[in-house]
Amino acid sequence: MRVEQIPAASFFSLLSEEGLRIRLGPFNVRISTNLRHLAEQLHFLYAHYELVEDEITEFHVKIVSKRSIPRPFSASVHFLVDDQEPFPPAPVNQALAILEWGINLAIALRTNHLLLFHSAAVERNGNVLLLPAWPGSGKTTLCTVLAHRGFRLFSDEFGLMDTECDELLPVPRLMSLKNQSIDVIKRYLPEASMGQAIPHTQKGTVAHVRPPQESIEQSAKTAKARWIIFPKWVADSPLRLERLPQSEAFLLLASNSFNYEILGEAAYKAVTRLVKTCHCYKLVYSDFDRVLTALNELTYGG
Amino acid sequence: MGNFSNHQKLLRNALIDPVSVLDYSISEWELLLRLVRRVKLLGHLAIELERRGLSNKIPVRAANQLRSGLIRAKKFQQLARWELDRITWALKGMNIPVVVLKGGAYMLARLPSAEGRFFIDLDIMVPQEQLDQVEACLLKRGWRHREISTYDEHYYRAWSQEIPALIHRERETEVDIHHTIAPVTSRIRLDARLLFDDAITVGSPEYRILCPVDMVLHCSVNLFQNNELADDLRDLLDLHSMLCVFPHEDTQFWEKMISRANQLRLGRPLFYGIWFTRMIFQTPVPEKIENTLNQKPGLFSRWIMNALVPSALLPLHPDYPARFAQFARFLLYLRSHWIRMPFHLLISHLAYKCYLRLRPPSKPMIKK
Amino acid sequence: MFWRSTDFTSLLIEEWEEEFIVFQPTSGKTHFLNKLGMQLLLELDKYHQSAYSEDQICQCLLDRFQLQSAPHFLEQVKKTLRRFEELGLVEQVKRDPVSAR
Repeated sequence: MRVEQIPAASFFSLLSEEGLRIRLGPFNVRISTNLRHLAEQLHFLYAHYELVEDEITEFHVKIVSKRSIPRPFSASVHFLVDDQEPFPPAPVNQALAILEWGINLAIALRTNHLLLFHSAAVERNGNVLLLPAWPGSGKTTLCTVLAHRGFRLFSDEFGLMDTECDELLPVPRLMSLKNQSIDVIKRYLPEASMGQAIPHTQKGTVAHVRPPQESIEQSAKTAKARWIIFPKWVADSPLRLERLPQSEAFLLLASNSFNYEILGEAAYKAVTRLVKTCHCYKLVYSDFDRVLTALNELTYGG
Repeated sequence: MGNFSNHQKLLRNALIDPVSVLDYSISEWELLLRLVRRVKLLGHLAIELERRGLSNKIPVRAANQLRSGLIRAKKFQQLARWELDRITWALKGMNIPVVVLKGGAYMLARLPSAEGRFFIDLDIMVPQEQLDQVEACLLKRGWRHREISTYDEHYYRAWSQEIPALIHRERETEVDIHHTIAPVTSRIRLDARLLFDDAITVGSPEYRILCPVDMVLHCSVNLFQNNELADDLRDLLDLHSMLCVFPHEDTQFWEKMISRANQLRLGRPLFYGIWFTRMIFQTPVPEKIENTLNQKPGLFSRWIMNALVPSALLPLHPDYPARFAQFARFLLYLRSHWIRMPFHLLISHLAYKCYLRLRPPSKPMIKK
Repeated sequence: MFWRSTDFTSLLIEEWEEEFIVFQPTSGKTHFLNKLGMQLLLELDKYHQSAYSEDQICQCLLDRFQLQSAPHFLEQVKKTLRRFEELGLVEQVKRDPVSAR
């Protein structure tokens, strides 16, 4: 059963009572909240996700609104994972944004049976294109475009790698666009399903794009990486797609991983194999049409 | 002995008899994982199941979570080992006796509870008169004081007579340097030279660990003199592990244990240590042996501790925290300060901490 | 001052375009070394139980890379040794076991 098959009326009581259990790629998450507006947003944005049945749920998260002593007249929302609060509360209208960050943070801090790259990942013809990048490089924006133009979305945030078989695992989550990229995507991808823009968050204005239905439906289908591209959006820049020396690719990949240090030798060996088996590039772009042409050429040709 | 609620039983059974998890339902597994995570024992349970060849017989999602915890625990063990290596390198030739304490010591002693044990800080002990020398040397070799408030710094130096934790500028492991095993501010006075005299070597000539009886005493003091006890099940498990292993290695262990506790006047914390490992982990301690200790707690104290301690050591139910358990934890929090400090110090210290709670520091406190 | 390598055999080493990416299991750290740094470790490990003086190491490296001796070269080698010592890749020893050779 999928979220969209639950009537809106019973969806809120599910969230506020036993909690909504959904499958996010390899992870099951239980979400509880007493906020109606968050329930409405989730009913739309999480529509395609599958409910968890007869399986262990690993992540138990809660969004609760409270009034606090210093500010008794404006409620704030708290993100809790197993009743621990990893970051400070936020204004009530930012509930969805802190829920999404909170789940990402919980995944990043608790997952060590997989190697985690801070990376977007998309797939075509059974091969994964990894797009590792630091915040602000336009990784999510580019990933949103690719996910709507012939690539299957793995994730806009996590490259999850099983170091025992070198398979990458999809974890298609909402893609959170920031500031100018919201309008850019609205113009370039009018068909994308986007939630309301949430202003004044820690990262500016954010808006969430729902992953395409096929990407969610196929989220159990793993694949190996074939291309690693470090993207950077630079205003008005001509397109440049250049080979990256392997030692540099290693350095960039290792430093873009959440748990490279924790996994130690296993991570060193896994990154070495990735760099040896993948084609590594540096990409500078400003225009989506040109990027799509270049990446289509690369992924169909190679 | 002890009335445990259902979620406490679920956790306790898994720790006492790991095979029992094979019968757990999906919802029981879910709850177990949350409880085990709260008391930092994911790695421990992973190892216990691995030792029994059960890792493949439990649900994959559970196995993944346990393995994630174990990998993290192993990483921090490696970091502590390396930090110790670097400290002995830095102190080389200075002829300073270094005794490794707590998690690091259990690791070096290869206690059964140490293999999957998660700990972050490295604790070492050096003679008080050489504390300044050690601090100066480490500061010269790249270690820094962790950023702390002036109040905390003052508290450390003036009242604890210890130095604030050190961290090397290129690494993350915090090094806590002690000169005794009981807080100086508490009413316990003991001659730390006795601890150094009996410390034993493990593998390397560069450092030592406390002898078994002192290790047990230190663990008990930490639990029942130092800590607030909330979610400290891991430390009680260490105690359990020691009390299971040491008597096998030395048939005179219990006589030595009792006489050392009496000599150092640490009968009270040891009494509680024995009492609660037996209650929670069914540790095979000779019956009534704790009655031979001097300085046993009175009947009233026992009754109070009996009522409060299990609620604090065992985690709260993550969805339905019991009010009594929360209250018990609060009382034990007050107790830990009460016994750790002289009364005049306690009032001002708690007042300051209370002020901090109302006005938390502006920086978000996210700890990995 | 005499030097020798510590635990060289435990290191995992990948070479790409004359850059060396080295994993040190004891520290859990990954180091990026250039040719000179790598050669320095190799020379120190050549006779495992031996220790070299700084001048000897310099001479080995000069021979190896067919370089002319330059005054700042010894300084650079000394600096690298100190850095490697801090990282636990090499260690100082007091006695002089190579002198017999």
